[in-house]
Amino acid sequence: MTSEVPSEIPKVDIKGVSKTYPGDRQAVQALQAIDLSIAPGEFVSIVGPSGCGKSTLLYVVGGFLDAAGEVLVDGKAIVGPGTDRGVVFQEYALFPWLSVRNNILYGLERGPLSAEERARVADRLIGVIGLKGFEDRYPRELSGGMKQRVAIARTLACDPAILLLDEPFGALDAQTREVMQDELLRIWLETRKTVLMITHDVSEAVYLSNRICVMSARPGKIVEEFKIDLDRTIPREQLFTSDAFNKARNEVWISVRRQALAAEQAAHAGN
Amino acid sequence: MRETDRFSLLWSPVGRIIPLIMLGLLWQATSSLRLVDPAFLPSPARVGYAISDLLAGSEIRDNLFITLWRAGLGLALGSIAGVWLGLMMARSPVFRAYAAPIVGGTYSLPKSALIPLFILWFGIGTTTTVCAVFLACLLPMVVNTAQGVASTPRVLVWSAEAFGTRPRAMLWRVYLPHALPDIFSGLRVALGFSFVLAISSEMIASTNGIGKLIFMYGENGAYDYMFAAIACVIVVAFLADRLLLAFTEKSLRWHESARVR
Repeated sequence: MTSEVPSEIPKVDIKGVSKTYPGDRQAVQALQAIDLSIAPGEFVSIVGPSGCGKSTLLYVVGGFLDAAGEVLVDGKAIVGPGTDRGVVFQEYALFPWLSVRNNILYGLERGPLSAEERARVADRLIGVIGLKGFEDRYPRELSGGMKQRVAIARTLACDPAILLLDEPFGALDAQTREVMQDELLRIWLETRKTVLMITHDVSEAVYLSNRICVMSARPGKIVEEFKIDLDRTIPREQLFTSDAFNKARNEVWISVRRQALAAEQAAHAGN
Repeated sequence: MRETDRFSLLWSPVGRIIPLIMLGLLWQATSSLRLVDPAFLPSPARVGYAISDLLAGSEIRDNLFITLWRAGLGLALGSIAGVWLGLMMARSPVFRAYAAPIVGGTYSLPKSALIPLFILWFGIGTTTTVCAVFLACLLPMVVNTAQGVASTPRVLVWSAEAFGTRPRAMLWRVYLPHALPDIFSGLRVALGFSFVLAISSEMIASTNGIGKLIFMYGENGAYDYMFAAIACVIVVAFLADRLLLAFTEKSLRWHESARVR
């Protein structure tokens, strides 16, 4: 298991990040003073009630949104999007005018690889995601699960050190979601990339993460953290039915539920 | 079910020419029964004879090519400029602030109203016609391109950014491909305008071209030949539109609107 060495420079260091959206009548504060350090190779999930600004945090780390505070990657402040951070969006964000193969090749074109090497990488990934025979299809011809696999393959093709996942399996049916979770877990165990995942699925977070941060409703703050220390090498059925898994799942679930209830009460009080 | 059965003949390729045949019969009946003076509405038979006569000579062909060249040039220039201006309008707030009032103010102006102005500036001939076509094609292209570019989902731009696409490359790697369906619908409108403007401009500001030819036949009372020339224009415009549609379908195979393979 990954062990954090305290002296190590965090792979991702989020320092005092706050984000306020200008509104028509009043500004909406989405994030309030978020501090979060992610060690190299660590898998961190953020869970919380809907509309708590989870995705906003991911977009800030991705460099897509400006925010107060700073985000450091390998100790250096980010100034915008970068190829060191691969992003998988909730809506897949595949380029609809490119075939499966060309979507996967998209990010490689600016890299150092030759055309032959790029083609080899694409072929290998198409095999990994089980879409052989679909190389020349366009995204509109694919199911949601297939699109998401292409989106993940496209991001992995560039071999980013950091993966930013925004509810990557949220739109999938339950069976496909489990398959994709297993796939992600396998890839993570193999490559030990640093992962920041946004999800609303507590079981998913517990199944995949080393650490789970629970966010409050707007303004989003990290209110609780859970370290998850489970043996990821045992099969899913065994893990899901284990006491350790269920204890962790219940703890996180109760924490998220508390935030959701608080959000509801605040909404009523506001009316 | 019964509804579709009843109309299925109309949707078949044969069915689609039935209304045209009916129109032709109505036309023939009108002139055979002398409901209208045949001098003003020549019978389809006479128009058919005029068509075959015209097709045997080179006059119609030469003048059609002149018109097609003018319409095509104006359409090409107008489309290129329109796509560029639309792209700029959608991407640059400063440019939009200057261009939007001009586009909004001139969008609904019938461009043919400007032909006398072009005659004043450029005289009688190709320049005037091409300018009129250019202007007529420009605006639908600007508006459609701007709309297509502006509606690009931010996640597409973000994911391109995350893959290292630079802002300049973003224009042709993300914004233009996303706007392509809108650009093609603008092109179809512009194609129609190009014929309208080329022919109407030739009628008053040219010494040749199919527009001038139609106008001259009308002036000289050769109405059967006027109808024949109009029929040739209809066929050419229809074929141009079908060609563009086929090209659009091929280019937009990736798009939601395309037929599933």
